[in-house]
Amino acid sequence: MNGWAGKILDIDLSSGAVKTYPLDERMARQYVGGRGLGARILWDEVGPEVDPLSPENVLIFTVGPLTATGYQTSNRFSVTTKSPLTGTILDANSGGYWGMQFKKAGYDALIVRGRAQSPVWIEIKDDQVQIHDAADLWGMRVRAVTEKLGQNNNRRNVLTIGPAGENLSRIAAIMNDGQRSLARGGPGAVMGAKNLKAIVVEGKQRPEIMDQERFKFMLYETRKLLRANPVTSQALPEFGTPVMMNLVNAVGALPTRNAQQSQFEGADLISGEALTEKYLVKNDNCWACPIGCTRVTQTDKVKGEGPEFETMWAFGAACGVDDLAAIIEANALCNDLGMDTISAGSTIACAMELSEKGYMDSDLRFGQASVFPKLLEDMAYKRDLGSVMGDGSLRLATHFGHPELSMSVKGMEMPAYDPRGMQGQGLLYATSNRGACHMRGNMLGLEVLGLPKMIDRFQVQGKSSYVVLHQNSAAAIDSLVICKFTNMGVAEEYFARTLSAVTGIDFATGDLIRIGERVYNLERLYNIREGFTRADDTLPPRLLNEPVVDGPSKGWVSHLPEMLDEYYRARGWDANGVPKRERLELLEMDDILEAV
Amino acid sequence: MIDQRIYEQIRDIGRDLYLQNMISSHGGNISVRIGDKLVIKRRGAQLGRLKPHDLVETYIEKNDSGVALASTELLAHRTIYMKTPALAIIHCHPRTAIALSLSRDEIVPIDNEASYLLKKVPVVAEEFASGTIEMANTVADALRQYKIIMLRGHGSFAIGQTLEEAFHWSSTLEEACQIAVWAKIINEPFIEYRKMSDAYNKF
Repeated sequence: MNGWAGKILDIDLSSGAVKTYPLDERMARQYVGGRGLGARILWDEVGPEVDPLSPENVLIFTVGPLTATGYQTSNRFSVTTKSPLTGTILDANSGGYWGMQFKKAGYDALIVRGRAQSPVWIEIKDDQVQIHDAADLWGMRVRAVTEKLGQNNNRRNVLTIGPAGENLSRIAAIMNDGQRSLARGGPGAVMGAKNLKAIVVEGKQRPEIMDQERFKFMLYETRKLLRANPVTSQALPEFGTPVMMNLVNAVGALPTRNAQQSQFEGADLISGEALTEKYLVKNDNCWACPIGCTRVTQTDKVKGEGPEFETMWAFGAACGVDDLAAIIEANALCNDLGMDTISAGSTIACAMELSEKGYMDSDLRFGQASVFPKLLEDMAYKRDLGSVMGDGSLRLATHFGHPELSMSVKGMEMPAYDPRGMQGQGLLYATSNRGACHMRGNMLGLEVLGLPKMIDRFQVQGKSSYVVLHQNSAAAIDSLVICKFTNMGVAEEYFARTLSAVTGIDFATGDLIRIGERVYNLERLYNIREGFTRADDTLPPRLLNEPVVDGPSKGWVSHLPEMLDEYYRARGWDANGVPKRERLELLEMDDILEAV
Repeated sequence: MIDQRIYEQIRDIGRDLYLQNMISSHGGNISVRIGDKLVIKRRGAQLGRLKPHDLVETYIEKNDSGVALASTELLAHRTIYMKTPALAIIHCHPRTAIALSLSRDEIVPIDNEASYLLKKVPVVAEEFASGTIEMANTVADALRQYKIIMLRGHGSFAIGQTLEEAFHWSSTLEEACQIAVWAKIINEPFIEYRKMSDAYNKF
């Protein structure tokens, strides 16, 4: 199996049993790797009777056939599990080095099941796998653990949880290589519930590439396109993802003060330009990435990677905060506590509105950056108000009797794009299988950046077609697994040809998109099996009913109800959002159909 | 009811195709995908002068009354939507590209723009090159691997996420073919300026 390692590692923490078995070839062809392979394994492993924080839930770490080949951004990996935040299927992926190193250890997937009796960490050196006592690591923060376990970017890579994961915060992340994160949906809590502190990998193997000559050509052509595109060659390297701040704000799609407005008057102060001018120390790259969007920043108090655009928005515009140093420090603290910055910032924004409206007895107010350190610590350790806030905005808002003030879908906090100013983005959030997410496809390219071409962001009719394509494409890219930023300059046809060169199996562009569609349908079926229905494909009431008060999106609400039926039809689902048998047969999902 | 925004997109691209000599007065056809339906030019309508009533909405995978009005190449458009991820299709008659398609099985551009964007455009052939299921399948199968292809002696089919994207591929191909013809006319030795260009014909 060129490209794939051909092997799955399976560790049961309850019994201590470690085993390996071959990767099923049909499964590999149908779901490729990463998110797709993780979803397919989870479908068999974790049914609706399983509590996400019980030993019966599993963590599935996956890489793909391109991982560690040296293809641009082939460093990423994915984790799949049942989310303790949403109850849906969850996958989160991350860059850095860990994924590349895990692939070089000779595996396509690692399944972690059960629960250790006391804290442990796992060490994988090629085919040597050991489970160590982690009593001395439990309670430590991410940076300290990462350093103690010997992080060395190209040789030995550490993945760990922080206090948030240990304390079962439902917005806890899993961190890798120090400051990278598998952030959304609470995978850190699943790891914490297993008493698993860290996984360290070292690998010496190289993936086999079937057609070296063709692969080198695709590498060359991909490099050319990434260099030719101003987003990947100038905007992202110079300003990182925060370059989006001013662009999204300018079109009136930046949710502000818990989405009460869609433009932030302080956007300039927390923009990519401001970050570069005042706090940037240097750029950095993930393994095999020519884009280099990573920012190393420094304030008087902290130095570290980030923040990304979404984080700057969550602690910035969402909370009405224009203090960039405070945002950088909140990001660094979240990374060290092992907590999702988007959910953390959005939950604080929700708390600020609950407090301002008198629904919660607190002095919290929009614009208060000084509250971040204590609130974040309390959320990670589940103390005081943090005992509720540490489980995200929906549980917080519900606790105080106003769930409508949680800006979330299926319980996952919405990122930095207001669906009232980007109609396609609203449909995308509502139908995302892991809750509101900008990484399950993103209309940013089409509705704001003009990538590949600009479409009308207020257009309603026909939007479903774009959303379906981009969701399928994102699922395919997540299954390869590579970075979606490459897709800003390089079309899917290049990925399909590269996959063909690596594996020796002919994949057309349409085949790759079809794989993404298969993954999307499998995730949908998983959620339906968990009890999710059409009623869950919705947005916070504010976005459906409260028109934007001013700015370029003034007067607009999300027209989700008009788009949803068209979306279901475009997907070949029935009026309740259930995939039709004919569609699943077309997608050759016969093994899943048996269970359905 | 077809949204005004969608009508305007189709009207503008149709006008551009005509003004750039990519079609004759009544030639070519374009469509966009909307959910499980497509919107396509009415049969006999002039692409360069489309009115709202010149657009027909019909299903991709089943017939309705719309098929009585739709373009001759509806079958090809439907088949392309079923076999590829296309959200928009342009079929036009770029003259230089058609001329080159008569003598070769693939068009490999020599100019920089098309080398970046297209690499290679295959030429496919069908005995009955209009409105048949054989032609529809041949064209759609080729578009599984390429975003623009030539049907020998007939014209180009381009796919994209938007009509603008498909138009980009179509106009780039015609420009590349005109440059190739001019280079041939000038008849001076070609100086290769691209690395790995020998791999383009394997793309």
